[in-house]
Amino acid sequence: MSVPTRLSTAISRQAARQTLPAVRAAPLGVQQQKRTRADASTSHAEFNSPFTRGTSGKKDTTVIPSFKKYRSGSETNNKVFQYFMVGAFGGLSALGAKNTVQDFLVNMSASADVLAQAKVEVDLASIPEGKNVIIKWRGKPVFIRHRTADEIKEADETKWESLRDPQADSERVKKPEWLIMLGVCTHLGCVPIGEAGDFGGWFCPCHGSHYDISGRIRKGPAPLNLEVPEYDFPEDTSLVIG
Amino acid sequence: MSGVLGGIYNTVIRSNGVFLSAIFVGAFATNLAFDTGSNALWDSINRGRQWKDIKHRYMESEDEE
Repeated sequence: MSVPTRLSTAISRQAARQTLPAVRAAPLGVQQQKRTRADASTSHAEFNSPFTRGTSGKKDTTVIPSFKKYRSGSETNNKVFQYFMVGAFGGLSALGAKNTVQDFLVNMSASADVLAQAKVEVDLASIPEGKNVIIKWRGKPVFIRHRTADEIKEADETKWESLRDPQADSERVKKPEWLIMLGVCTHLGCVPIGEAGDFGGWFCPCHGSHYDISGRIRKGPAPLNLEVPEYDFPEDTSLVIG
Repeated sequence: MSGVLGGIYNTVIRSNGVFLSAIFVGAFATNLAFDTGSNALWDSINRGRQWKDIKHRYMESEDEE
């Protein structure tokens, strides 16, 4: 490319740059026109300073700019929007707090495998009269005694008011022929032996506590009667402990 | 538009007690809707793969006994 051609293209380019903004910015003020002309090659933006009074274009720092463009139409709309946002986030926070507390509490409740072992069902038809059965419930032995009529009578007629842990036989059984209680000595937690002892009930070999046919402590160091667990008879011949 | 929003403002927001109860009721409803919706989504994604979907295939013989 020769020198004259390069020169001519440069001149024509310069001319194009200068004419275009001049056409576009024709109605603007002199000052602004000067500014836009200066940087017209890089910017198409126009800047109208809010700090001018009237249409003079003269800068005046005491002028308060108008924010009318940014104002919303009504105050109620703004209030409702603000309160809605506050309420919505408050509701979400309440939800989160509730779930945190709930998860923490659920975490402390019994798990499914524990609940599955919490109840034991026993078929009572297989226990003959006058026999003991020991089953395991929640890791502890449970005595089930099918009492004879004589034993029921004996348990009933005992003067229970003067015992160490006074309790009537009717408080300890739901059906008189079935005595159900935890097989843990209330002294130090040994397992008493059935059909033994001075009172025809249970005898703890560890320290010599004697329990009668209703499981009440009669002699020896134990302070309380044998504990009766929660149980129920859903049918005549079945027993659910727990 | 403004009338509706004004009505909402006057009925729900103006009294603090009503606003607070509305928040809690809304939280409860959101909880319910979220749980139901996410369970439905889970079930629809795992259709035919869950125990409740195939239970009838295995439990029939037990019922006949």
